[in-house]
Amino acid sequence: MTEYINLVIAGTVQGLVIALAALAISLSFAVARFPNAATGDTMTVGAYVAVLVQAATAGSLLAGSIAAIIVTTLVSVACYFLVFKKLERRPLVASLIASIGIAFFLRSMLTFFLGFEQHVFQIPISRALNFSGIRIIPIDLWLSGIAILVLAATFVLLFLTPLGRRMRAVAADMDLARASGIRSGRVMIALWAISGVLSAVAGIMVGIKTVVTPDLGWDLLLPAFAAAILGGIGSPGGAVLAAILLGVAQEVSTPFVGFTYKIALSFVALIAVLIVRPAGLFGQPERVR
Amino acid sequence: MLPYLVTIAIMIGIYGLLTLGLNLQYGYTGLINFGHVAFFAIGAYTSALISLAGYPIALGMAAGTVLAFLAAYPLGLLCLRLRADYLAIVTLSFSEIIRTVLISEEWLTEGTQGLPGIPKPFSSLSQGNADLAYLALVATAMLVAILLMWRLSHSPFGRLIRAVRDDEDAVRAVGKDPAQLKIKTLMLGAALAGLAGAFYAHYVGYISPDQFLPLVTFYAWIALIMGGAGTITGAIVGSSLLLFILEGSRFLRDVVPFVSEVQMASLRLAVIGLGLVLFMLYRPQGLIPDRSQS
Repeated sequence: MTEYINLVIAGTVQGLVIALAALAISLSFAVARFPNAATGDTMTVGAYVAVLVQAATAGSLLAGSIAAIIVTTLVSVACYFLVFKKLERRPLVASLIASIGIAFFLRSMLTFFLGFEQHVFQIPISRALNFSGIRIIPIDLWLSGIAILVLAATFVLLFLTPLGRRMRAVAADMDLARASGIRSGRVMIALWAISGVLSAVAGIMVGIKTVVTPDLGWDLLLPAFAAAILGGIGSPGGAVLAAILLGVAQEVSTPFVGFTYKIALSFVALIAVLIVRPAGLFGQPERVR
Repeated sequence: MLPYLVTIAIMIGIYGLLTLGLNLQYGYTGLINFGHVAFFAIGAYTSALISLAGYPIALGMAAGTVLAFLAAYPLGLLCLRLRADYLAIVTLSFSEIIRTVLISEEWLTEGTQGLPGIPKPFSSLSQGNADLAYLALVATAMLVAILLMWRLSHSPFGRLIRAVRDDEDAVRAVGKDPAQLKIKTLMLGAALAGLAGAFYAHYVGYISPDQFLPLVTFYAWIALIMGGAGTITGAIVGSSLLLFILEGSRFLRDVVPFVSEVQMASLRLAVIGLGLVLFMLYRPQGLIPDRSQS
């Protein structure tokens, strides 16, 4: 029993990381109207910047994280201005394919200049707290706390601020939002900046939990996509909840399906849910346009 | 030089078949299939395993094609219910599931070790002649595929699937079922990818899950987009251009001294990525536009 509790704990931490990426994708889905496949590799960029800056500044994770957030925000907003803004009025497939292209380009630049070797964050090793068999690693507590904080901040921004209201207005109907005097360009910049921040935090968290490799983000992209769809499009809360569920399901299933198939589990869950409920777990059934 | 050109021509044929399949699905019908490599892998592994078990190569290739054709059916059923962008993600996931199965089911696929020593046809001939004969075989398959595709696109079925792409509601209004049409094109395109996979396996002689990354799917996409989606010529021109980019970078290495082989691989990925972005921005219709589209 305690073994399963431990798996649930590990899964929740993993799920929170997926949730950050899933929230970024869900927002791009809702506001920009396409699933941004470059989210994963933006995460990788964030992880690399953080790990390299940490190494350069004598071990300051804070400096690394701030640098990473600045860089991914810039990358994300630059992608909007250079690519997605110009594809705004075109069919969805154009932005989708372009985002895949950006993903490949970002990864290729990382491997071109930094090679394929792994990088590791310098984190003090700490003993797991043991509550009669239930083990909690202090770093997991920290990571979960930060993830929850960042998620909460994003939701406050979305639902309690004027900017969030404008963002949701653009998500609901861009033309109507424009007609009501909302500057959709500014909303878009905010969207891509938020997406960049979320990606950086997610990337750094994966890097701390494991190692920083060029495939770090791409490997997390599909579970994050799955969570965004499972949660229901236009439902950021649903995406976060689905991500945590997926993370827990992945870990708890490991003793039964083995290590390799646990990765496939999120896809199987995705396909299963889509068969029963095409609108996702928490999404509104929507008109197909 | 000749053996090298033959190799390139064979690879153009293999990518050409793969791209023709995608052209049928995306170019004609508008289905965003991001999991094309799954069918390529199914074709390659099926054909390799059957011929390694001692059965004729022709049987293996036929089985690979048929299995890829059938594997697309459940995916087709699913995609009827999905919006275009969901389909993209589900197919991408499907291809990663297939790759996970190839890695995990070691009793069948030898896992990450891969399958070495896949029999090559025409092994009684000398190396050079065997490759030439293989090229003839690939070229024949390609020609047949092009002819079929041409017939198909000028048939009522061809007009219907293009109508699905352009206006699904209109198709429904005239009493046709877009769902059935989508399943059919998904399966036919998958069969072409399966055949391409079989040709690939018997040509390179060694396959492993590493060779079936999503990148291969996007090789077909960039070929299709460069050439021009919705035209047969576009698919062929696109795959030739793709090979030119992939192979040309090998020559570039001799000219640019400070770039290592590993970095060259990164540069290839950069060109593919940048190509996707730039074509989408500035020439979405490709080099050879589909004239039926206004």
